[in-house]
Amino acid sequence: MNVTHDDVRDLAAGFVLGALTPEEEAAVRDHLANCAEPHPELAELGGVVPHLAESVAPVEPPVALRARILAAAAAERPPASAPAPAPAPATEPAAALPVAGPAAAPMPFPTADERSARAAARPSRLATWAMGIAAVLAIAVLGAGNLQLQGRLSDVEGNLAAATAYQEGVARVLAVATQDDAQVAILTATPDAPTAAAGLAAAGPDGTVVISMHDLVPTTGTQVYEAWVIVGEAAPVPLGGFRVGAAGTGVFNGSTALAGPGALLALTLEPGPGATAPTAPVLTVGALSESG
Amino acid sequence: MTDQATPGPLRVASPVDDADRRILAELGAGRLEALEALYDRYRAMAFAIALRITADATLAEDVVQDAFLGVWRHADRYVEGRGSVKTWLLSIVHHRAIDAVRRRRPAVELPDPELPPPPQLIAADVWPEVAGRLDAVAVQAALATLSTVQREAIELAYFGGLSQTEIAERTATPLGTVKSRMRLGLLGLRRALVGEAPEPMAEAGEP
Repeated sequence: MNVTHDDVRDLAAGFVLGALTPEEEAAVRDHLANCAEPHPELAELGGVVPHLAESVAPVEPPVALRARILAAAAAERPPASAPAPAPAPATEPAAALPVAGPAAAPMPFPTADERSARAAARPSRLATWAMGIAAVLAIAVLGAGNLQLQGRLSDVEGNLAAATAYQEGVARVLAVATQDDAQVAILTATPDAPTAAAGLAAAGPDGTVVISMHDLVPTTGTQVYEAWVIVGEAAPVPLGGFRVGAAGTGVFNGSTALAGPGALLALTLEPGPGATAPTAPVLTVGALSESG
Repeated sequence: MTDQATPGPLRVASPVDDADRRILAELGAGRLEALEALYDRYRAMAFAIALRITADATLAEDVVQDAFLGVWRHADRYVEGRGSVKTWLLSIVHHRAIDAVRRRRPAVELPDPELPPPPQLIAADVWPEVAGRLDAVAVQAALATLSTVQREAIELAYFGGLSQTEIAERTATPLGTVKSRMRLGLLGLRRALVGEAPEPMAEAGEP
C-alpha cells in the first residue's frame, strides 16, 4: 500500500491513536521514513494523545506489587554503586545441609567453619547493596512461588489470597531488611520437607525477626511451625511458633538477641507449641547475612 | 496545516517535572531507591490506566510491572523535548496495556514510546510548554468539551485498543465518520488544552 503526503494528513488522527489497520500503519511509517516534507499535523494531533492517560482517576495497586517490581529490578541489574553481585551463597545452606536425622536426634547443620567461610565470601555491606540482595532473594523466592501459585490460580480462587498473603509477608520482611545493620536470609526446603517450602527472613538491629513462608503444609490440631535460631555449635533456640492455614503461607514475627551473621534460621513442624528443642526434622533453613 | 493556537501563559517545566527528571537520572544510574520513588509517585495513575484498558487486575499488575521495569532498563531513552517524565511513563503503561489486550487478536503495533518517534512527531510546537502544566482536571475538562461521539471514538481507540474499522463496526457508523470524529476530537482536545475558546461542535456537518 502506498500513501501520498496528503493521505498521511488524512490518516494522522488514526495514526497517532494507533487505530489504523496494519497496512495503513505500515504505509504511513514508510512514507514518514522517506518524506522530506514536514508533517505538522502529526505533532499537532499526537501531542494530545499521551495526556488522555491523565483523565483516569487514580487507583491504588495491591501493596505487594511494589516489592515485586523492586525485586525484579534488583534481580535484573545490581545497583551501580555495589560490587559485583554474588547471590549464589544465599542458596548454599540447602545444598550443604545433610539429611536431617530422626526425631530428637541432634540436628545436622553446617559447622561454624563452613559458615564463617561462607560469610567471608559475602559481598560488602553497603546499604544499597543490602537492599539489592534482599530484593534478589525476594525475587528468587517469589518467582518460584508465583509459578506454582499461578498454575493453580485458575482452579482455586483461594490461591490468590495465598499469593497476596505471601507477598505482603515479603513486603514486611523487606521493611526490616532495609534497616541499617539488618540481616537477611533465604529459607529453602531441606530434603525432609514434603513441599517446596521456602521463604524470606530478615532480622532487624533491634532483634526483630520476620519470616515469610509459602508452600508449607497446613498445620492441624495443636501443631505449630516452630522457628529456631542456631548459632555456631550451640543448641537451637526456639523463637516461637505459628500456624499455617489452607493457603500454605505463614508470616512469623518474633525477636531474638542471637541473630548475627552466619546464624541459621530454621523451621520444624512440632506437635504443639512451646518446644524447647526440635523434635522433628528441619524442613527449611537459611543463614543470616549482615546487610547494612 | 498551520498552528493558529494562541498558547496561554507559558511556564517553564514545573517543580514536579524537575524532580522527576532528577529521579530518572538517578534511576538511570542504577539506584533502586529512585525506581522506588518513581513508583510511589505514579503507581496509582499507572495502575488506573492499566486497569481501565485491561479490565483485569492481575493483568494490570503485570502491565505496571512491565512498564516500570522498562523504565528501569531504558531510562536513557527518555527524550527531554518530548514531554514530562510522567507523560512518558504513562505512555509506556498505556502501550503495554494495549499490547496485552491486543495479544488476543492481530492488530496494529503501537509506536513504542521507549523508541524515538518519527521526527515528524517532534516538530517544534507550543505543545511541550503547554503540556508541562496539564493535570487530570484539565484533561477531564478538555474531554468534556467534545461531543459524546467524538469522545467515544477517541476513548474506544485509546482505552479500548480498537482500530477505526472496529470502532465503525461496533458503533454502526460509517468509517469516514469515525475518522473525522477522531480528528475533530483530537483537535478539540488540543484547543481546549491550550486554552483556546472551543469552536462550535462540527459534528452536525459530518457525513
